[in-house]
Amino acid sequence: MKGKEESMKKRIATTVSLAMITSVLGVSASSFGAVTAKASAPKVTITVLGADYGSGPSNTTSTYWQHIAQGFMKLYPNVTVKTSTINWNDYNTKVTAQIQNKNYPDVLQGEFFPQYVSDGLLYPLSKVLSNPNAGSPVFKSSFSVKNVQYAMPFVTSARTMFYNKKLFAQAKISAPPTTWAQLLTDAKAIAKLGKIGYSLPLGPEEAQAESYLWMLGSGGGWQNAKGQYTINSKANLKAFAFLKQLVASGATNPNPATWNRTADSAKAFANGQVGMEFNGPFLTATIASAGVLKPSDYATAAIPGANGPVIKTLGVADAIQVFKSSAAKLPWIKKFMDYATNNANQLAFAHEYALLPGTVSALNSLKNDPILGSFVKALPHTVLFPSSANWTSTVLPAIKIQIGTAVTGNASSVLNQLQTLATGG
Amino acid sequence: MSNIEISVTDPMVPPSPPVMSGPRRTILRRLEPIYWLGPAFLLIAGVVITPVFFMVWSSFRNIDSVGFDHGWAGFTSYHNLFALPDLGPVMMRTIVWLVSVVGATMLISLPLAVLLNRQFPGRRAVRMALVAPWATSVFMTAIIFRWMLQPQSGLINIVGHALGLLHNIGLTSAQADWLGRPGSALVWMIIVAIFVSLPFTTYTLLAGMQAIPGDIYEAAKVDGASAWRSFSAITLPLLKPAAVVALLINLMNVFNSFPIIWEMTRGGPGDQTATSTVFMYQLKASSIPMAAAMSVLNFFVVALIVILFLRFSNWKERAI
Amino acid sequence: MSVEVVPVTRTSGAKRVRHRRPLSARDWILSIVAYIIAAVFLVPYLEMIVTAISPSNQLGTSQLFPSRIDFSNFTSLWSLGLGTNLGVSLEVAIGATILVTLVALPAAYYTARKKFRGRMFFLVLVLITQMFQPTALLVGIYGEFSHLGLTDSVFGLVIVNSAFNLAFATWIMTAYISSIPVELEEAAFVDGTTRLGALRRITLPLALPGIVTAMIFTFIAAWNELVVALVLTTTPSHQPLTVALDGFIGGYQIDWGHLFATSVISTIPVIILFAFIEGRVVGGLTAGSLK
Repeated sequence: MKGKEESMKKRIATTVSLAMITSVLGVSASSFGAVTAKASAPKVTITVLGADYGSGPSNTTSTYWQHIAQGFMKLYPNVTVKTSTINWNDYNTKVTAQIQNKNYPDVLQGEFFPQYVSDGLLYPLSKVLSNPNAGSPVFKSSFSVKNVQYAMPFVTSARTMFYNKKLFAQAKISAPPTTWAQLLTDAKAIAKLGKIGYSLPLGPEEAQAESYLWMLGSGGGWQNAKGQYTINSKANLKAFAFLKQLVASGATNPNPATWNRTADSAKAFANGQVGMEFNGPFLTATIASAGVLKPSDYATAAIPGANGPVIKTLGVADAIQVFKSSAAKLPWIKKFMDYATNNANQLAFAHEYALLPGTVSALNSLKNDPILGSFVKALPHTVLFPSSANWTSTVLPAIKIQIGTAVTGNASSVLNQLQTLATGG
Repeated sequence: MSNIEISVTDPMVPPSPPVMSGPRRTILRRLEPIYWLGPAFLLIAGVVITPVFFMVWSSFRNIDSVGFDHGWAGFTSYHNLFALPDLGPVMMRTIVWLVSVVGATMLISLPLAVLLNRQFPGRRAVRMALVAPWATSVFMTAIIFRWMLQPQSGLINIVGHALGLLHNIGLTSAQADWLGRPGSALVWMIIVAIFVSLPFTTYTLLAGMQAIPGDIYEAAKVDGASAWRSFSAITLPLLKPAAVVALLINLMNVFNSFPIIWEMTRGGPGDQTATSTVFMYQLKASSIPMAAAMSVLNFFVVALIVILFLRFSNWKERAI
Repeated sequence: MSVEVVPVTRTSGAKRVRHRRPLSARDWILSIVAYIIAAVFLVPYLEMIVTAISPSNQLGTSQLFPSRIDFSNFTSLWSLGLGTNLGVSLEVAIGATILVTLVALPAAYYTARKKFRGRMFFLVLVLITQMFQPTALLVGIYGEFSHLGLTDSVFGLVIVNSAFNLAFATWIMTAYISSIPVELEEAAFVDGTTRLGALRRITLPLALPGIVTAMIFTFIAAWNELVVALVLTTTPSHQPLTVALDGFIGGYQIDWGHLFATSVISTIPVIILFAFIEGRVVGGLTAGSLK
């Protein structure tokens, strides 16, 4: 019930902040309005397709986009903004169906694929944003092709370790682990309480993130600094050897290969069943709505590595990008992009879903936020997923399906197979 | 809706007046099927057959993972598909899935139909209970089973522990993650698939039994036939047509079944619990044309099964 | 399409027999077996209800029953706008049911009564539509419907659901109509009735159980359809209940309570429909295939 109250408060806060934005903009609109009306602007329709970050009508992202559209249309009555959102789980099905039928949205918020650029579908960011450098520079290279940036980070997050303070106390552990060896000991101690010591979500949903965090712990990763795949490197094998040991000790959930981040791992943590897990800020929203753990019952800490805490954690960003349409439409789309990514809209999004914003200025204003602050500070020190063209198309789908089997089967053969796939194709 | 009604009913009028004569009449005769079947044909051609052509066409194109078409690719996707080492195991698993689900469904629904065909107090309520999996979407039934199978908090595991069942087969609480291991996951998904196929099948067989005229049984009784004898000599043979319908529909539905496996395991770990339909969906993430090729292959497989089945059951000689 | 008018011969016959003799031990055993089976069938759905009325902080814990009952998942559904989705689902299911009946009935009648060129072709075509998975055809359907301007519309969903259920409806109706003796119609012709008249007065009433069965099948299938609706619709107020259900399974959070509450609600209309019509479904499934 506490959690419900909190989420209610949050919702009210969001609504209030949105109302404030519109009223503030309403004022400025009158001054703008005179200018735009004189220009006798042409009728323009902008279509926006976005991923849905919510779980049902109570917090669907379509409400968020509708607010933005309404606010924008008040400013520019000649423009009609049509927004729609699609559940993250069905995002790819829907977007590829649209692209296969050459039915491109004007603005797409969700995943950035380098193929969009090589297929000649996107405008460079410089054409669609007044300040093309508004987005966090951390993600600049991963949203660029040949040094030209095509997408802006719209939502970001960094990963850290969550731990259940109650369970730590029950297992008589004084401080969160900083090394793998400590993590193993602590996880075993918690497992003795009948709980999951460490929750290891290597199911298809986000196996690429979980395994990456472990690879980073031993100095490995998906690629080296030159951007060459190093999936079967020694460091990565070391990470999987440790994971195998961790799983075999019985201190994790039993079948990591089918254990998913949202449906399984986050839910188990929120229900107080898990000692430790690596997750992003959005876990706090799940914890709040489950209403089992109080904010004082859990905390975050740096991700443990082989010999000490991991300095560079994983940063993830979802993009906003503009598909090519007509020169006549472009200036209006640019205005819309500026509006949609302004501070107020960015912050409203961040608070609603417990995720980080994508623009530098919005990120800066959250530095002292009680929930998001620590994640904001971690963001500049993050490493990212590879930006090679074949990562999202070939390597990632294979990793999602196969990497989980490496902790129970033969790790080196799984990693070798993935490396061959990544470098061969 | 009204314009459709007109197109169906109006044309029915011309053929009937007997005053019409000569060639005009024969032309109308020729065109007669169009009036009656036209709307159905249009609907099928428009919504099913056209997308089928699109699907076949995509399987010969070079479409990248974001959906952009780079031109003709010939048989490349088919070549790549057949080169996949996992295709064989997936097809084998599909056969296991099909045979065990359809087989068990038929075997269970026959006694169930016999039971529901008898008089007993509360029969109507029992029949209604049987309808539940049919009335609920398969997607939801799969989710509720996944919920009940959760290792720590699922109903099945809690009850299993309370009764000491799981302990007896050597499972600790952590190891009761049924959906985590391919073997037990497949067994549970087969159980769910049987569960959702039973209502339709049972009802079809029940309908078949109710259509058998009672006087045949009376006559058998007079001749001194035992209950078992009248079941095996009257009920079973007369039930064959209904059973054939049920079997055929089940074969196609179970082969194409997607939501159960997708919701419960997504075909994982890896593709170790994927049937060919789920495998097609998994392929879509990495290669759209290969997924299209897999759909084409799936169609040929299911068509082959249906043809073999029709041959086997002498379907063609019968009325429909 | 009023259903109540028709005399139900089969069930009324059965009713007369009921409870005439006292229950024997065998009857009792039979009933108990039947009740156990019924219970097994209901357990998952009872669990669904129990979960839906559990307070959110008791979800996913190892308790069989919640310590208190909380209907907030149900009461809050309406403020979330799910009433609209329920309405869309009803429109789609009813629309598809009507369209399928209007289209399949003439086709089935003609196929059952006439030997014409292309009859086999038509039947095979109908069979083939049953062999495709809508998932495999999604992209094509989306492309076609966006050209026709039918995406994000209730009518578009009606069309798709009709097409995918036409096969089964045509089948059942064809089989049923062929089981009605032609002589009955011919007798009417002799009396000077037109074909249409004979169809209306003789065949339709006799074929009604088959027609009703086909209608129910279509209704349930359209009611529960998810995959196509997911891709075709975008506006929340144009989405059926299944898509709204799917929305509770978010990328970052899953709203289990509302998910199960909504599915309880979405099952109720179908159950009610069945309660009304159960006897006739059994009759209809016989489908004349038993000649």
